[in-house]
Amino acid sequence: MNITQQIVNAIWLGGVYSLFALGYALVFSVLGVLNLAHSAVFMWGAFIGLVAVTQLNVSVWAAIPLAMVVSGVISIVLDVLAFAPLRRRNAPRISQLISSIGAAILLVNIAQLIFGTQPQRFPLGSIPSDPLEGLPIRITPIQIIILLVAITLMAVLQYLVVRTRAGQAMRAVAFNQRVASLLGINSGNVFRMTFFLAGALAGAAGVLFGLAYNTITPFMGDSVALKGLTVIVLGGLGNIQGAVVGGFVVAALEVFSIAAGGSNYREAFVFTLLFLILLFRPQGLVGQAAETRA
Amino acid sequence: MDLLRSIGITEIVFQLMLVNAILGLSIYLTLYTGMFSLANAGFMAIGAYVGVVLTQNYDLPLWAALIGGMIAAGIVAVPIGLPVLRLRDIYLAIATIGFGEVVRILILNFDTLASSISGESVQLTRGALGITGIPKITETWQLLLFLVVTVYILVRLHRSRFGRAMAAIRQDEQAAATMGINVVYIKNTVFIFSAILAASAGVLKAHLTRTISPGDYGFDQVVNILAFAVLGGTSTWLGPIVGGFVLTALPEILREFKQYRGIVNGVILLVVIVYLPGGLVNINGWKRLWRRIRGQPSVIERIQQNTRSG
Amino acid sequence: MNRKLVSLLFVFLMVFLSFGVITAQDEVEKPLVGFWESCPTPSNLPATVTVGAIFGLSDAVAVYGVPQRQAVELAVEEINESGYLGETVFEVRFEDSAGNRDQAIFAMTKLVEEDKVLAVLGPTLSSEAFAADPIAQENSTPVMGVSNTALGLTGMGDFVFRNSLPEAAVIPGTIAQAKEVLGLEKVGLLYGNDDDFTVSGYQVFRQALLDNEIEILGEETFAKGDLDFNAQLTNLISQEPDALVVSALAAEATQIILQARALDYNGPIIGGNGFNSPAVLRDTGEASEGLIVGGAWNYGNPNPTESSVRFVEMYEAKFNQSPDQFAAQSYTGAWLMATAIRCADFGADADLAEQRLAIRDALLQIRDFDSPLGVFSFTEDREPLHDPIAQIVSGGKFEPLAVVMGESG
Repeated sequence: MNITQQIVNAIWLGGVYSLFALGYALVFSVLGVLNLAHSAVFMWGAFIGLVAVTQLNVSVWAAIPLAMVVSGVISIVLDVLAFAPLRRRNAPRISQLISSIGAAILLVNIAQLIFGTQPQRFPLGSIPSDPLEGLPIRITPIQIIILLVAITLMAVLQYLVVRTRAGQAMRAVAFNQRVASLLGINSGNVFRMTFFLAGALAGAAGVLFGLAYNTITPFMGDSVALKGLTVIVLGGLGNIQGAVVGGFVVAALEVFSIAAGGSNYREAFVFTLLFLILLFRPQGLVGQAAETRA
Repeated sequence: MDLLRSIGITEIVFQLMLVNAILGLSIYLTLYTGMFSLANAGFMAIGAYVGVVLTQNYDLPLWAALIGGMIAAGIVAVPIGLPVLRLRDIYLAIATIGFGEVVRILILNFDTLASSISGESVQLTRGALGITGIPKITETWQLLLFLVVTVYILVRLHRSRFGRAMAAIRQDEQAAATMGINVVYIKNTVFIFSAILAASAGVLKAHLTRTISPGDYGFDQVVNILAFAVLGGTSTWLGPIVGGFVLTALPEILREFKQYRGIVNGVILLVVIVYLPGGLVNINGWKRLWRRIRGQPSVIERIQQNTRSG
Repeated sequence: MNRKLVSLLFVFLMVFLSFGVITAQDEVEKPLVGFWESCPTPSNLPATVTVGAIFGLSDAVAVYGVPQRQAVELAVEEINESGYLGETVFEVRFEDSAGNRDQAIFAMTKLVEEDKVLAVLGPTLSSEAFAADPIAQENSTPVMGVSNTALGLTGMGDFVFRNSLPEAAVIPGTIAQAKEVLGLEKVGLLYGNDDDFTVSGYQVFRQALLDNEIEILGEETFAKGDLDFNAQLTNLISQEPDALVVSALAAEATQIILQARALDYNGPIIGGNGFNSPAVLRDTGEASEGLIVGGAWNYGNPNPTESSVRFVEMYEAKFNQSPDQFAAQSYTGAWLMATAIRCADFGADADLAEQRLAIRDALLQIRDFDSPLGVFSFTEDREPLHDPIAQIVSGGKFEPLAVVMGESG
């Protein structure tokens, strides 16, 4: 039971990590910018879902799309306030990074003022949490649901980016903004769309995290911010499949280093792997051409 | 002095402003050479722990601990820098964050690790509990002197061949290499200098705050150090000093805002970065801001507007 | 989209989402806490006495710091309305340390050297206390930790107090009782290895388990902020322990209980101070059955003191949430400080150093003080002395461990 259960644990945790990393990877792939406020939008998503369920008496299933839309809007506001002015001025990308930190501080503090600091949760029994019976392994319905939603979102995002016109525009802007403008693509719209999508993904991740771990605080983004970064770099920066692969690799490494009795060093293992991957395969596990970005 | 104190800048705040200015300079060095390295918190940790062990376990004076911490960080920087500095931009940033995290986790588990290897109970870094009861022996004049000497060396460096090579690498690494500049040598040397500076800040700060633990040197600390340099500006050595001063003093000056402090702090940070993307110490940024306030677009902006509408 | 419209929408959203906390105020009754008899109503004190308080009011530590501030505010209100200090107004000046050592140092320096407060409550974290308390000590200003549990804290000097029981005063008793009740022979140990609170808890647990000759099947660690403990729990549970022993803070404690139950572990879970939050019981529901906690104070204590009941009522009425152990200790801390001032009854003309010394001496004299924590005394070493609690969740509520032992034995 032990090793099979650990495999289940790793798959589950991998789904959780990839879900968070998707939006992170999307913004990076189009803008080439690390958006450190992504984890703050994620936190807002969780709170919006919570408010929808507890104050507006909406079902959990309706709360997820609602949180996605509102988080998407918050994310656009973030772009308008913190990123767009710097883009317009051709500021170095490192300024955009710091600007996103300022935005994150702001979002967390506003959340603290509105929602307080005490951990909040969805009402017990919002979704079934008893483990499934009759299986050799232990898994709960919420875990299966989150995995399914995560996989669906990944597939939808992949479809959007690869198959649709909007996705083509995004990739064109990602490849070269100037050339894209010459082709008649309004890069401002593409950026806003990217931020909306990334925000919506963060919102969905926020609600699902809230349901899975049932602790919602203004600071819940802190614990996943660095993890998300690790995941997207490991998988290949700016690569959507990369975020998914990275998520599962990090999760597997953590779970199996614990299973092997090394829980003290599991993070050291992850960062060492990261270090080695960067040295020998900087495009990440999935990436193809090495492309320089800042 | 009384005026400063009345707005919240006590002596200890001033001392940590100086420490943070040194940290800002340590990341400025690498940024100035076009390297987006974030290893500073890791080297700061190495400096702090080596320094504290030297003053506490070997009763050495502060200056000896300072030199010890700097040497230790310099030695570690060599094998790290050689492979890692081949990476660029965000890849370098992430690899160096990874280095910092590994340092933090090793310090956290040092005692367990050392005990199991040596077979006897080792109590050196004391894990998450950290080292407490470190005497406060760093003085303001020492910090000031250290900062002044550092700036003097930096100014001399900027004027030297080596300094011009640094600037050339930042402009265009490949062009610099074709011009006969030994890029690998320059980058690694700068990386070592940066590590040594971060370590010295670690030693000096540990003997101000009386206690250190691995958690002080995580991702948050790196982000703070980066913010010192970026907010202040990286075009001259004055930028990171101003950045370190402002970001340390600002939360203290804003104490009167109580629960709105974080929001006001975040807004100020955002506004400065958005309107002065080159940092506080960047004369062109202020000029552009002034023109904006008076409603005159700059030449570049006019061209950009034309391109966009076209 | 129009930029102004977006910003407006954003602001509207924030307002829309905010929901106010209703505050209600009770009528003033005479407080159940305080040395009303042992010390006479003071007559010499200045018009206002000011004490500082350093709590983590922003960032993640605010989970603990905000209840601490609320509890102190409650005590201050009660003290002033009841005239505990006579005509004198008791004032507490709060400073935020954000869980950050540098800021704790700054706050302590500001309070002690600039604002010239008489004494200080806090800071929230032990790591902050080790950095900031020496400043109070150097200025001969009493400082009282209300949530610091690390070893050696009061050793920093003769002005450093704490009213929070260290783990060493709580855990050995819990383990010994649990062994008797449940006949523990082998356990799995899980703890956070990057936090001084959880590590010192772990060290005491480990020693207590060794002292009671209970076998430790395995030790697993996690990091602050972790959400998923399935891998560690799977390892421990597969070794079939009689109990899981866990040193964690409240946020992690909730997850650990829920995930252990989801992995089909139905045995007892033994926790320390960190499990002592009403949120843990509320958020784990049926999964908390069989949870054993040792601590200084517990919301669900089946045999609370009268002052504890009154404290819970007042706190819930004022803040619309249940107090945790940190709140109870902070509330008691503020009352202890006011009591020292009442008993010292120094003159308004005494200089600052004399006033601070008088408060220090009065604090040292406090014995058998009836508080929500129980009957409280300071030892000569400025450490707290009161009965800890050891309880088990049985039938959805806390019961004393000893009672359940009687039933099962």
